[in-house]
Amino acid sequence: MDTWFKENIDTKTILAVLLLTLIGIASVYSATYDAGASAFFSRQLIWAGVGVLFMLTIMLIPFRTIQLLSYPLYGLSIVILVVVLVGGKMVAGSKSWFGIGGYGLQPSEIVKVTTILALASYLSQRQVNLQWFKHLATTFGFVFLPVILIVIQPDVGTAIIYLGMLIVILYWAGASNFLMLTLLAPVAAAVATLFGTTAFFVVVVLTLVILFFLRENRLASAAVFSLTVLVGASVQFIFGKLAPHQQKRIITFLNPDADPLGAGYNVIQSKIAIGSGGLFGKGFLHGSQTQLNFLPAQWTDFIYCVPGEEFGFIGAFAILLLLTLLLIRGVQIASMVKSRYASLVAIGIVATFATHTVINIGMSMGVMPVIGVPLPFLSYGGSNLLTNMIMAGLLLNMYANRKEY
Amino acid sequence: MTELSETSSRKVVLFISIGVIFTVFLFRLIQLQVLYADIYGRKSEENSIRQIARDPIRGLMFDRKGKLIVDNRPSYSVTITPAEFHLSNIDFLSEILHLDAQLIKGKFDKGIKYNRFAPAKIKRDIDFQTLSIIEENKDNLPGVDYQVESKRFYPTNARATHLFGYTKEISDQQLVEMGNEYRPGDNLGATGLEAAYERYLRGQKGCELITVNALGQMLENYNEGRNDVPVREGSDLYLAFDADLQALAESLLADKRGAVVAIDPSDGGILALVSKPDYDLTSFGSITPWDVWKALNTDESKPLFNRATLTKYPPGSTFKMVLAAAALEEGVINTNWRVNCTGAFHFGNKIFHDLHTHGSTNVVEAIQRSCNVFFYQLILKTGLERWTRYGRDFGFGSPTGIDILEENPGLLPSEEYFDRVYGKGKWTQGYLVSLSIGQGEVGVSPIQMAGYAAALASRGYYHTPHTVLKIKDKESGQMQIVPTETRKLEISDWVWGVLQEGMYRCVNETGGTGQAAKVKGVTVCGKTGTAQRPHGKKDHAWFIGFAPRENPKIAICVLVENAGFGGAFAAPIAGLCIEQYLYGTLIRNNPKEIIAASDTVKENETDR
Repeated sequence: MDTWFKENIDTKTILAVLLLTLIGIASVYSATYDAGASAFFSRQLIWAGVGVLFMLTIMLIPFRTIQLLSYPLYGLSIVILVVVLVGGKMVAGSKSWFGIGGYGLQPSEIVKVTTILALASYLSQRQVNLQWFKHLATTFGFVFLPVILIVIQPDVGTAIIYLGMLIVILYWAGASNFLMLTLLAPVAAAVATLFGTTAFFVVVVLTLVILFFLRENRLASAAVFSLTVLVGASVQFIFGKLAPHQQKRIITFLNPDADPLGAGYNVIQSKIAIGSGGLFGKGFLHGSQTQLNFLPAQWTDFIYCVPGEEFGFIGAFAILLLLTLLLIRGVQIASMVKSRYASLVAIGIVATFATHTVINIGMSMGVMPVIGVPLPFLSYGGSNLLTNMIMAGLLLNMYANRKEY
Repeated sequence: MTELSETSSRKVVLFISIGVIFTVFLFRLIQLQVLYADIYGRKSEENSIRQIARDPIRGLMFDRKGKLIVDNRPSYSVTITPAEFHLSNIDFLSEILHLDAQLIKGKFDKGIKYNRFAPAKIKRDIDFQTLSIIEENKDNLPGVDYQVESKRFYPTNARATHLFGYTKEISDQQLVEMGNEYRPGDNLGATGLEAAYERYLRGQKGCELITVNALGQMLENYNEGRNDVPVREGSDLYLAFDADLQALAESLLADKRGAVVAIDPSDGGILALVSKPDYDLTSFGSITPWDVWKALNTDESKPLFNRATLTKYPPGSTFKMVLAAAALEEGVINTNWRVNCTGAFHFGNKIFHDLHTHGSTNVVEAIQRSCNVFFYQLILKTGLERWTRYGRDFGFGSPTGIDILEENPGLLPSEEYFDRVYGKGKWTQGYLVSLSIGQGEVGVSPIQMAGYAAALASRGYYHTPHTVLKIKDKESGQMQIVPTETRKLEISDWVWGVLQEGMYRCVNETGGTGQAAKVKGVTVCGKTGTAQRPHGKKDHAWFIGFAPRENPKIAICVLVENAGFGGAFAAPIAGLCIEQYLYGTLIRNNPKEIIAASDTVKENETDR
């Protein structure tokens, strides 16, 4: 029994997940504290319990079963997404179609998992070669189908998560450096343009240098370079044509400090919360920013401020460290498993956790634009917590079956 | 991944990426929390924005004529914000407010536990003089403030205590259950319409962000109010209720115990709902003094108890139409079937009495004169199963679904019920004889009886009784119509004709037991009833009826406890109520004398 345990259970992952979840529950408790525990707290507690059960169950499911179910689950989840989109409109704009006794499930959360499984399944086939346009297009199709359905909902934050996940999986699946550059350079150019001409030129020059070192076919290199310049220039052009208030919106999105009274309000309050926490924090339930509800929806997107203010640097650093360790452990698992499918699933999960973490913590500390995505295992929200637990369960499953091909 | 060396190099790239992100975030954390901690700490202390919760104005209630019947008046509550309050000021504050210092300390401690930055209410409904003293001493009393709240005010002389209900301060238990929608010190509906329509009446809290200076004095709305959450006012209720009818019914029952329920038979709208004794809701308007509450709670006459919906008394002879409807509709008898009433009925070794010897009686006459012997014989022919089935159809034995939360289902015995209570085969047909005249193990409430009267009036349309017809959303100005639930009783039209004829004669022809309910120029139909009570206690008087017969506008039930015969004590009250509602005013003078005069009916009373 003891050796079986050691052989099959990845205590590092479990420990990180449980610690993060506990800190999350405490933070939700504090953020919604109202003369005692709130309904948010008790719900989060229930979800955490259900989530841990899911995690352990999924860990024990035979590895082959998961692999076989990848496509059917993906298909099913897409159908649900469509039904919610159509049905949700009929029920007066409420998405509660999937309600179970007041505990609503957001399908767009769980679709993240099924998309990873389907992508891994596809990319682990021997004949699939990312150099072929047809195979590359199919890979994109797997991700764009749910993304389009989610953007309609609309939930831009979740859509961005999918793109982050896609980039990392492609890279891990063996996409050439040239392909990665082809994908990333135009995006970088578009974003840089909005920060000014200098930033745009930096990206252009950088692209040129990398192209030079990659020594690909000259014609292809020229095409990528022109694409990058073209995208950057057209973004500049479109931006110039926008009405001033629309321009302002994009600028404050990228740089909240530009509008301290409006869009920047949240970020400023968030930074004050974290900053005023100092080294040791103000003590549990004693954060004035948190308890005075300076931040709207602090229990979801701005949850990182709560431990940041009440437990200070010690608390904020502990969370950052735990999340980082979880990511590193995920990459290790992705490297040690024998099955290409398992490896791709593991890396997809790591990528999803990472994108969430970077956007959320970055936003709370004012180094990223304000995009509403939850912080894994900490933010309030049943669907999200359950999805994270399922992904952790898959990681554990891949670890336990690491010797299978 | 294709080759091993490839994989490990890509792994290194990912590790480096994670490392870079970690390092960037770590530096940012150190920058915020270590290097600039002082700056942000000061910013947080000076955070010059305060959130002030704004309570919505509770929705109003209007009666069917558009008269405002439940209104709000301003009331001032003193609050302390624990984070700013100096404990050394407790004695001074206690002196100003005439409030025990210990009590203030208690509220202060509770406030700290809840949220030290949120104002906690320490005294509600202070007078204007106290308010001005606090205003004058504002600089000496940091953290002490007042809030304008509203308390209920009832502009008409209709008390409708049990229908309107009262609001009370949320309990700790409720706070936990209701989650984030309420805060300590909030009021919420506790009984009656206030409780049943809480989510409409309440509205939605708003909040204002206000910049304050270092002394805590408020300067201006932050960001010109753009970040404020606007208050959503509570929705107004438009009731079927008639305040004039209610006021009259209350005055008629003034020194009695009992209930009056009047319903519009065309839609089930509650026109009046009286339960006496009652109490003055204005004493519950904002905060209930402990002694008032205690007095009400221990009063032997139970003023807090809603007799209109919670009582469970035998209905007496008012119930006879249930059996008549069952027997006629099921073809057990027709209108020619006669019983020779000899004043008593022998069944087994028991004798069941009648007050009079009615002689040869058919069903119409039996209802008119309330002949018991007729119904004793009829139930033995008809059987318990049918009686129960029709009783259930008329809404007995289950809650009517009226839109207040306090309601008793009553008791309608069935074969299964007797089997359960007495054992299978251990009860005899003799048990049924009492039931036929609404005595024994049958319990009904006035609201059920009024619903029954309305179904008799509308020839079989049972509309779920409800008080609220429309709800007006103050934001959108939209009127939401509360849908009426209706079901049709499967009883033939000619049967309704027979029942109504009996009820008409009961009020309008010689020998009828309900003649005290007669109204000039109106075809009133009705039926009296007397709930017998053991050990020589005074009986409960019942009357149900409706009018006018051709086009019923009002159905009514009157219950007077410990009074005596229904025809003497309940019927005149019903007559006066019908008169008031149909004429819009009383055409007879001295209603008290009319009621007192009907005492003499006692002598001729044939109803048991």
